[in-house]
Amino acid sequence: MPDRFEERELVERAKLDPDAFGALYDRYFPQIYRFAYSRVRDQSLAEDVTSEVFFKALKNIKRYTYSGHPFSSWLYQITLNAVADHYRGAAGKEVELEEGASLPSTEPTVVDEVVRRDRSRRVWSAIDQLPKQQRAAMVLKFGEDRKIEEIAQILGKSSGAVKLLLHRGIERLRRELPPEFELGTP
Amino acid sequence: MDDKELDELFTDPAHQEVVDLLKTSRPATPPLDPNFRLHLRAQLMAEARKTLVPRASRSWFPFNFTPSVLAPAMAAVAAGFIVVLGIEVYLANQPTAAPVAFDVSKLNNKSNVATGEPIEIPFSGPVDKAAVEIQIEPATSFTQQWVGQTLVIVPDHQLAPNTTYTVTVKPRATLATPNPSNPNSPKPAVAPTPAVVHFTTVRAPIPPVVPPSFRSAGVTYGFDSRLGDSGKLKILNAVWTSAGQLLVTRPGGQAGPAAVPSPSATATASGSAAGTDVWLMSPIGTPVRLVGPGDNFPTAAPMGGLFSAWRQQGTQANLEVRDLQGNLVSTAATLDGVPDRAAVWIGSDRLAYVDNGALRIVGLHAPLEAPALKVDHDGSLAASPNGQFLAVQSTTGSVVLDLTPGPTQRLLDGASGFTWSAKGDLAFTIQRDTGTELYLLTGGKTSKIASSPGSQTWSDLNWAPDAASLLFAARPTAGNSSASVLMLINRDGSNPLRFGPQREYSAPQWSPGGDLVLFTRRDEAGGNAFWTATSAPSGNDAAEKQALAEVEKFMQARIHGDNSTAQDELDDAGRAAYQAGASSLFSPAGTQFARYYPVTVQLTGSNPNKFLVGVRIFLAKSGVETSFFEEQLSLTLQAQRYLVDGVKASDTTALGHGPTVVSVQVLPAPPGQQVRVRFDADLKAESVTNSTIQVKDANGELVAARVSFDPDKHLATVTIRLRPGTYQLVVTSGVTDINGTPLAQEYTAPLIIGR
Repeated sequence: MPDRFEERELVERAKLDPDAFGALYDRYFPQIYRFAYSRVRDQSLAEDVTSEVFFKALKNIKRYTYSGHPFSSWLYQITLNAVADHYRGAAGKEVELEEGASLPSTEPTVVDEVVRRDRSRRVWSAIDQLPKQQRAAMVLKFGEDRKIEEIAQILGKSSGAVKLLLHRGIERLRRELPPEFELGTP
Repeated sequence: MDDKELDELFTDPAHQEVVDLLKTSRPATPPLDPNFRLHLRAQLMAEARKTLVPRASRSWFPFNFTPSVLAPAMAAVAAGFIVVLGIEVYLANQPTAAPVAFDVSKLNNKSNVATGEPIEIPFSGPVDKAAVEIQIEPATSFTQQWVGQTLVIVPDHQLAPNTTYTVTVKPRATLATPNPSNPNSPKPAVAPTPAVVHFTTVRAPIPPVVPPSFRSAGVTYGFDSRLGDSGKLKILNAVWTSAGQLLVTRPGGQAGPAAVPSPSATATASGSAAGTDVWLMSPIGTPVRLVGPGDNFPTAAPMGGLFSAWRQQGTQANLEVRDLQGNLVSTAATLDGVPDRAAVWIGSDRLAYVDNGALRIVGLHAPLEAPALKVDHDGSLAASPNGQFLAVQSTTGSVVLDLTPGPTQRLLDGASGFTWSAKGDLAFTIQRDTGTELYLLTGGKTSKIASSPGSQTWSDLNWAPDAASLLFAARPTAGNSSASVLMLINRDGSNPLRFGPQREYSAPQWSPGGDLVLFTRRDEAGGNAFWTATSAPSGNDAAEKQALAEVEKFMQARIHGDNSTAQDELDDAGRAAYQAGASSLFSPAGTQFARYYPVTVQLTGSNPNKFLVGVRIFLAKSGVETSFFEEQLSLTLQAQRYLVDGVKASDTTALGHGPTVVSVQVLPAPPGQQVRVRFDADLKAESVTNSTIQVKDANGELVAARVSFDPDKHLATVTIRLRPGTYQLVVTSGVTDINGTPLAQEYTAPLIIGR
């Protein structure tokens, strides 16, 4: 985690200094692109979203006020909004399962794919099938190593609600990952 | 990935298997066209060069009138032009004066504004500083200072959380009066329309239920922040104030709020150019106010807003007592030589210190008699919070003095590292060849509660504010000192756990609210830097959090007009209550539910799965908050979810008509309870009494209570002994703010005392 004060200073400079904004871009591009891709699962769309995120950040950085959370939280929030805006425009193409719906991992075609992937890919593939909010919480926690408090801020929820999302996500993975998954083996 | 949050959240082995799997996995690296990254960067930089470079006038108020045309311009303003982000201020006393603008865009309509930070308003050019007038509502006393062209408003006390403040900035009516006999005399300036800025402070942590679900032994290390801006502001020592701010010693003459890193930037001229100064600092490291020029070794009184510090003058040192505005209250003592440690407060009216190896005790204005005890340079000294006991590690052995007076109790040989809990328990250590032994003295009896491994030394004990656990530093007895860590241990010595990452730490100090820990950490240069880390409650209070999460969902649905989600949070009884008119599920016509926050959370006595959550709901008209009302929501666990099964609503209170209560918290304080009532404004202390803040029983009878007031926290504390049952807190309109404005209307809230 970058030093918070060093980060704040960089953000303050970036309000006036293009080079400082460039440094912010260099620092946060990988995680924002990765997060965008985790939500849209399409390279071209992830590029569009990432581009939108940083242009919005540039446009609004003078209004950014430090609230005790890392600067990346703000970028994640913009990313979530950009993804939501995209799918609103695309008439809800985002794959969204209702609570209680089955993961497709037990379907033969998916099983074939799971067999082809390594364990890591398989479990992350299963995460991709979780409901939107659970997926966001799981990706931020296990993919981006964010603290629960920070995830809560990004998602606009309480820490308790994030814990509940993680609990439900883990429980669902436990229940629905295929038996050949051999949980617990290294 | 080592993540204590996950370890504490997932204790079921079946869940842990999945968590462990995820910890060792990572999502596949997404496909990325490297040209995209470079191309996007180039686009952004081109755009940034167009938009970020400051321009002479555009980023401020767009008008730039000369004095000759200022009056008509301001008349136009007065005629209805609404200034939102900038305002012109006439530069009096400057012949070639041009108006300057100030930029409130950083603050206006912001939420989550920190309560302990100065308010900064940058101006675009030189300004007649005497001509700027500030008003803050709810009533807030403050000082203002200038750092270059930035006006820094420093509230005397921390702002209240959950509160929308209105700051009015306007020119003071001090311009020259025309002389009728002299037609060339200056004409009166037309006062521009004042700029009104609204901002809302951060949400306060949710008050715990009774019995308090917060257990310090279960907290985890959260975010950490280095004080002093990455080391640019050097800090020599630091302690908490009772209001949760910091008193720090810094090298003399350093800059204050809003200072830019320029050699010429200083907050005030009163800081000593050499030696040291004591500053009041926010918990995240913003210097708030120079409170002890030339002082060192500050230590805060347990309550009452005073601190002591040493001030060296030649070969002598004075023990000064000041308030947190920096006003000198008294010089309590003088000693020959140079002090090497802070004095110790005994209650809020006496101090103990070491004078060339001899123990001394003084009142704020006169020396008091002290036992003839010699204390070494590193001899431990600590007073119990109620001021009755003083633990002293003297050269002839360690003792606990009863200052009432009473008998002196001798402690075990080698007892050191004293720390008193809020409940009056003394913890101390004894260093042995086999490691460190940790002891507890409670009720006059001493017991060993834990021992370190032989390879470790334990030190720097510090009680959690709830007296449930201790933090301490664990260092290897020999070898690599970078392995030293902070540890958390229950008050009975059980469950020692590492607190924080594997770094070198020392001197932990829990904040009075238990939400932060101050400590030192070895920095890259080999010195010690001061840091704070948030301490987050773990899953012990999952039920309360689950209930509050449902309240959050319910309230957000109501704020956003989402009827189906709101209905989904109600059971049949809850739906019936709203349909019967107990309260309004959605905002009345012409208004909006702007925001809400929980005011109280209480566990209903007879049912461990039933909570009573008081929420305050703000009503806005045209985007401006105008009033609020409160609902008492009853939530019951049903099919693994908390649902609202009852509601009672209060009358609506108009905002801007006097102080209001922002939170109510009931805490156990054996043999009774404390009811803590926090206000949003600076109050007249004499208006806060047991006549204006009352507790009534179920029959409406007054219950005897003692009321104290801490102006620093806007906090009234009602000390009372209540049996299990339901009571009512009543805050009358006899409570007034510093301007004499009374509470808009009487405030009531239910108090539930569980078994």
